[in-house]
Order: sequence, then structure tokens, then C-alpha cells
Amino acid sequence: MTELEFLKLSKPQKIGYQLLQFFAGLPGRLWGGLKKLGMFFVNLAVKLWDEIKDICLTFKDGDWKTRLSYVVMGFGSAARGQVFRGILFFLFQTVFNMYMIFFGGAYLAKFGTLGTVETTKVNRKTVYGDNSFLILLYGILTIFFIIAAIYTWRVNIKQNKVSEQILKSGKKLKGAKDDIAALADTQFHKTLLSLPMIGIFLFTIVPIIFMVLVAFTNYDYQHQSPAKLFTWVGLENFRTLLSPDSASYGNTFGQVLLWTLIWAFFATFLNYFLGMLVAIMINKKGIKLKKMWRTIFVMTIAIPQFVSLLYVSKMFAADGIINSLLMGWGWIKQPLPFWTNPRWAQVTVIIINIWIGIPYLMLIATGILMNIPADLYESARIDGANAIQTYSRITLPYMLFVTGPYLLTSFIGNINNFNVIFLLTQGKPDVLGNSAGSTDLLITWLYAMTVDNTNYKMAACIGIIVFVVCAVINLVVYNLIPSVKNEEDFQ
Amino acid sequence: MKKFLAMVLCLIMALSMLNVAGAEGYDGEIVIWVAENAVDFTAAQVETFKAANPEYANMTVTIEAVGEGDAATNMITDVEGGADIFGFAQDQLARLVAAGALIELSEENAAIVTAENDAGSVSAVTMGDLMWAYPMTSDNGYFLYYDKSVVTDPTSLEAIIADCEAAGKNFYMEINSGWYQTAFFFGAGCTLTYDANDDGELVACNVDYASENGVTAFKAMIELAKSPNFVNGSSATNATNIGAIVDGAWDAAALQEILGENYAATKLPTVAGFQMGGFGGFKMLGVKPQEDEAKLAACDALALYLTSGDVQLARFQDPDIQWGPSNLTAQQNEAVQNNVALAALAAQLEFCVGQGQYPNDYWTLATSLGDRVLADEFDNMTDEELLTVLADFQTSAASYITAQ
Repeated sequence: MTELEFLKLSKPQKIGYQLLQFFAGLPGRLWGGLKKLGMFFVNLAVKLWDEIKDICLTFKDGDWKTRLSYVVMGFGSAARGQVFRGILFFLFQTVFNMYMIFFGGAYLAKFGTLGTVETTKVNRKTVYGDNSFLILLYGILTIFFIIAAIYTWRVNIKQNKVSEQILKSGKKLKGAKDDIAALADTQFHKTLLSLPMIGIFLFTIVPIIFMVLVAFTNYDYQHQSPAKLFTWVGLENFRTLLSPDSASYGNTFGQVLLWTLIWAFFATFLNYFLGMLVAIMINKKGIKLKKMWRTIFVMTIAIPQFVSLLYVSKMFAADGIINSLLMGWGWIKQPLPFWTNPRWAQVTVIIINIWIGIPYLMLIATGILMNIPADLYESARIDGANAIQTYSRITLPYMLFVTGPYLLTSFIGNINNFNVIFLLTQGKPDVLGNSAGSTDLLITWLYAMTVDNTNYKMAACIGIIVFVVCAVINLVVYNLIPSVKNEEDFQ
Repeated sequence: MKKFLAMVLCLIMALSMLNVAGAEGYDGEIVIWVAENAVDFTAAQVETFKAANPEYANMTVTIEAVGEGDAATNMITDVEGGADIFGFAQDQLARLVAAGALIELSEENAAIVTAENDAGSVSAVTMGDLMWAYPMTSDNGYFLYYDKSVVTDPTSLEAIIADCEAAGKNFYMEINSGWYQTAFFFGAGCTLTYDANDDGELVACNVDYASENGVTAFKAMIELAKSPNFVNGSSATNATNIGAIVDGAWDAAALQEILGENYAATKLPTVAGFQMGGFGGFKMLGVKPQEDEAKLAACDALALYLTSGDVQLARFQDPDIQWGPSNLTAQQNEAVQNNVALAALAAQLEFCVGQGQYPNDYWTLATSLGDRVLADEFDNMTDEELLTVLADFQTSAASYITAQ
């Protein structure tokens, strides 16, 4: 279809055509993604092969110092005068060997089973057996240490090769002083980043990998270390979670996921449009006391959510102030079931969230609205456009363009909006079974599972699935929003 | 003959030395977790214990303030890093046993505990064939507080409601809680218990809610919820217009303040011809499994001492704690008998079942049943329809057993 033909179509037809195009393009994009992934692995294999070839060639062509360095790390460097480097390499090798012999080796050996020795009792004394938790944790650390060791070994070999070449060409090698000086100069990035990298590795990467691996074990109520062992179960937990069997987790999971998406949708878009509406109203010419209105709305931001949400949650309780007042006035006979009826609770949560969310959107929208060129509105007015037309043709597209990425991140943020749900309802009323409540998001369900039910394996599964849901939505939507697709539109 | 006597004497001496060697004492470190308001009290009692048992005089006892709820959660998350002796409420027992955070009582201590404490508290610390903790209090139950100027006859729920309606006061009871709900069902003669094995797994469910008694109890509950002066709630401090409230001993001080000289408490009333029942609840001290036998012996001795009758009585008399004792002798003490709230509780406990182990899902299920009562869902149902609802409830409750 040419561009002219496209422009001739009516609005619904245009949307239909675009949708069709999107879905028609999906297999191609998927194939493209797979191809990229394939190429990545092919490249990786090629690189690995090159490295191995280089290692072998270095051994074949190198002198005896180089060859000995294959076994005693740092020997070549030290023998060629770079004593400082040599000692560092040798020190690393010693530490690594000691670690593997006295500590890591034992844990790594049991990593495949996560321990086999049961905890027993001798009379009343407890003799602890294998600790599956520690085996998993130290196993992961040991594997990383081994990877680091292989990398260092490879660097050590490369150093030998380079040093040999430098010496052959008649130049001098760098001494310890140069090495240290380089850390403050050409290698300064390493000096600066080493500490943050170690921190990120220990406090972010290792826990994430640990949690991901827990999803493939049977670590739960009946298998808690150190008293009991747990072990690998493969994809069993995912099967339990995703099988559409009403008695198992499948049914509950579906309902919680559905509510999570519904919640995220309303929490994001209701706040967005209502916040924008408030901003437009306050911005309107002729409205007096603009600063006062804004201040009133911003007050909700000033009070911490911990305080305001817990208080609001009490206000709406059966014996809370709202029900008491309504009953006192004689408007109702029974307390309204704000937190006890599943549908009521869901709607109440969304509405209270509007109260918290509007101020943020109002502030953002105020800034952006002031940025829209006034001449656009002026010419629209001259052309005879009414308020709705100017809004839908000028304000909204501009807002969407600027706040597209914000909308996406706040949608993802709302999927994981632990605070609001937990402080208002703790996921209650609990009617879905498997300790899930009708206002539970995946993230609060996960919390209940770990803290109340010691069901770490399912919680880890849900964690992975939350990540997949968020990642898919993010990738698909990000590539569709106008801010990314038509970057130049409003410049 | 003299020789023989000398030999016997020698033998006795040798035996007594062996005995001393058996209780050789312990001088390492013991960590105790108790609720914050009991820290000073416990520290003082530990000193008394050390003075009375010279073989333990040199051990270091660290007492940390960790509330009962946190103690259980912390122990479950990290058994090795947890305290050696810790206080908790009985609903956490199964989780703690499953996590390997408790060592069973020795046979001697189990015998002492069984002999000295009330039957409810003993059954609360028992799981499978073993006892897992030392009962410390027997005051975690609910009963009726009322305003003497409003309620004239506290023995019948119908009369109480009529009095409250006449005076424009409210009747408070948290019927959407699995804890308070049992006042109806257990009172009418129903059972709902779970059997646990030595691993802390629930292996069987004994439930008969779907019965004639169940329907009677259920109808009483629905009838109560119909009253315009009924409010679902059990927190004295949240309640605004109290005529009567079903609440526990922990709110005694607050209610005394609210009701002033009209403050009164008694056992739960009768309703629809049956006496309301419920759960009796207990706090207990647990000992963590130890790899050192001497330390374990020290922990056992200390825990036994801290839950003994005298210490329980002293704990009740300490103005910061005031926990009602589970020890039979302490319960007979005059001070305990004269406490209005505890006397009411003691009267109610006769009709109560010691709260055993319940899965988390039970509480959820009971809350949703209560919520549906509050939403007037059952107001116009026939007995057969109510029986169906209870049959569903019963099926769900039975499906929560954790082991096959």
C-alpha cells in the first residue's frame, strides 16, 4: 500500500492496517532476534576457538619461561624482571589453590546434589549434616572464582607472549613503579571502578543468581536448611505454577497476574489522565490562587506514604471513621465492605492510588503544558477548533510524545507497586487460595510466600515470571511508542 | 562387716562424684530472646538462676529484646544465627519445628512440665508424640468485657444485643477472624483441628463444620451480624462506642480506662442455647538444637527455670509484663484470682480448646467466610443452603494438609 492509499483510509481502517502490519511484522522481528542471538553464540564460539589456538601457539613458540608460566603463574613475568607482576600472579594462584583445597572444592563437589548427608541426633545433641543453603551459595561463589582464575591464567599467558615480543624488539619492560603509576593514569578507570564492581557483584549479581537457582530446587517448608536438605528439581516448580489445574497454583497465578495487569493499567492511565486534567484546569487562564491549588495537591507528596496509606487504610475499615460517619448520619445501616469484599477492595485501592498519584502527574504535566508553543493553540483557534479538538490534536499527542517513556516505566513500576497494596490491604481479602488475596499483586504474593509460608521455591519462580512479564512489556512497548519511533516529530 | 560398710561408702561416694560429673556445668555463652517489656525481668531471673546453680555461675547470658512474632520469623530464616532460648506464641510452633529451630524436651523435663502446667498449655506445646517447648503463659484467649451500666445480663448474647440496642451502644466481635469465629463453631460442638507429625507437617484434618451443630453456630453468627449495633472488630482502642466487646487480656488496661467504674468482664455468653467456646492461647519458651551437650543441658535447665511456677507468678506480678501463668500452682495464687480479666479468662478457658497447629490458609479461609457473613450474603438462606456453604468450607479446610 502506498502512502497516498493509506492516507485515504478512514481512522478505524488506519488503526486496523497498522495493527495488521504490527502482527505481520512479528514473525520477521522474532526471526531477526533469533538470528542475532544465533550470531552472538557463533561469534562467542569463534572467539573461544581463537583464544584456545592462541594459548596453544604461545606454548609452542614460547621460551621455557613462558612454558613454565602455564603451571606456575607469574613465573615468566618475574623471570623477565617484572617481579611485582609476577608476585601478584603467583599470589593469586596460591590464594585460589588454598581456597579450592580448603573451602570451595568441598562445596563445589556437592553442588550437583546440594548435599546428601542428613542432619542427625545423637542422644539429644544435634549433629548437622550438609547445609544445602550454604552449598548453593558458596557453590555459586566458587564457580565465579574459577571463571576469574581462568581469566587471570589467560592474562598471565598473554603477558608472557607480549613481554617476549617486546624484549625481542629490543625495548624495555615496565617496572613495578610504572605499573603503579599507570593505575592513577592510563588505568585509572580500573582503580575507580574496582570497588563498585565488587559491591555490585556481591550484593546484586550473586543474590540474583542465587534466587534464580532457588526456583529450580525444592527449597520450601518441608526442606529448610540446616535441619533438612533440599535439592534440584529442574522445571517442576514452573510446571506447578503454570499448569491450568484449579487445585494447584495455576489457577491462582492466572488470577493474580490478571489483577496485576488490570491494576497496573488503571493505576497508570487513570492517574495520567486525571493528573493532566487537574494540571490543565489549574493552568487555565482566569483560575485564581493557582499556587494554593498546587500546594494543596502536593501536600500528599509531603507526607510519607507509610503514614498516609496506613492511616487511610484504617479510615476505610469496618470500624473506621468513614463507615462510622456514614452510619452516624444514617446513610447506611451496615458498614460498607471497603476491605472485605474483593471487588470493593480492588476499586478502593485504585481510587486511593489516584489520590496519591495525581500530584506527581500534575507537576509533570504542568511543566510540559507550559512548554507547548502557544502559537499552535492560537492557529487552532483561528481555524475554529473547539476545546476537545485542541486537546486531542495538540495537547495529547504532545504529552504522549514527551511522557511516553515515563508512562511505560510507571506501568512497570505499578506492576511492582508493593507499597500501596501492602500498606492498604496486605493483599486481602484472601479468597484465591495458596495464600493469595484478591488485591495481591505478584510482588505482594511473593512477599507473603517467603515471609509467611516459607515457600521460597515458588516465590523464586514468581520473581522470574515478574521479570519476564516486565521485560516483554518493556521491549514491545518501548519499540512502539512515538518518542522512539518518530523521534523528530516535535523538534 | 566394717570393710563391707567402707566399701559401700566408697561406692556411694564414687557414685555421687559421677553424679557431679554428669552436671558439670557450662561457662560459655547463651543468647535469650524475649519481648522487650520482659528483658529486665528475665535478666534478674537469670541472675537468681545462676546464684542457685553454681555450676552455671560463670556462663554469659545475653538477653535481647525480640518480640514473639519477630523471634519466630528470625529463627526460621536463620537457625544458626538465632537465639538459644526464645519466646514465641503457640501458633508458630509447627513452622519452628519444620525449620529445625526447636529441640524436643528431654523426658524428665517433659514430665515436670506436664505435671505443673494446665492441660491446654501442655497440649499446645505437644506435636506428634513429643513436647517442643516450655509453656510460659496461659492468657491468650478471649472473653467478654462489658459496660455494667448497659448490659444487665451478660450470660446470654441475645440479651446483651438487646441491651446494647436499647442503650445505643455497640457490640464488638471480630467474626471475620478464624480465631474469634471458633467461639461459635467450637461452642456448638464442632471440631476443627489439624494433626501434625514430628516434622511440623500437618498430616490430617479433623473437621465437622458441615453438620447440624455447624449450621446452628453459623446461624447464630449470621443473626449476630444482622444487628445494627454489631460492629466487626476486636481492638478496644479502635472501638468508639462500647457496650460490650469480645477481646483478650492484653486490652484489659485500655478497657478499664474506657469503661471506668462500669468495667466488668466475664466468660462468653450463651447463644442459641449453647455456651460460646473458642481457642485458648499460650506463650512458650523454646530451646534451639545444640551441637554441644553441655550447652544444651544449660539451656534446658535455664528454660525450665524461667517457666517454673515461681517465675511465672513473679512475671504476672511485674507491672511491666503481667502475663497470666500457665502453671497450676501460680494460677491458684490470690493475686491472679483477683484479676477481673484473668478470672474471666479462666472461667472461659473451661469451654475452650487449646489452640493447636493451623495452616495459614485456614485463617484466610475463615476470614473470607466471615467477610461473606458481613456482606449479608447468607441472610436469607435456608438451612440446606447454609449446609452447602459449610461443606465447601470443610472441603477447603481439609485440603490444606501439607504432607500426604
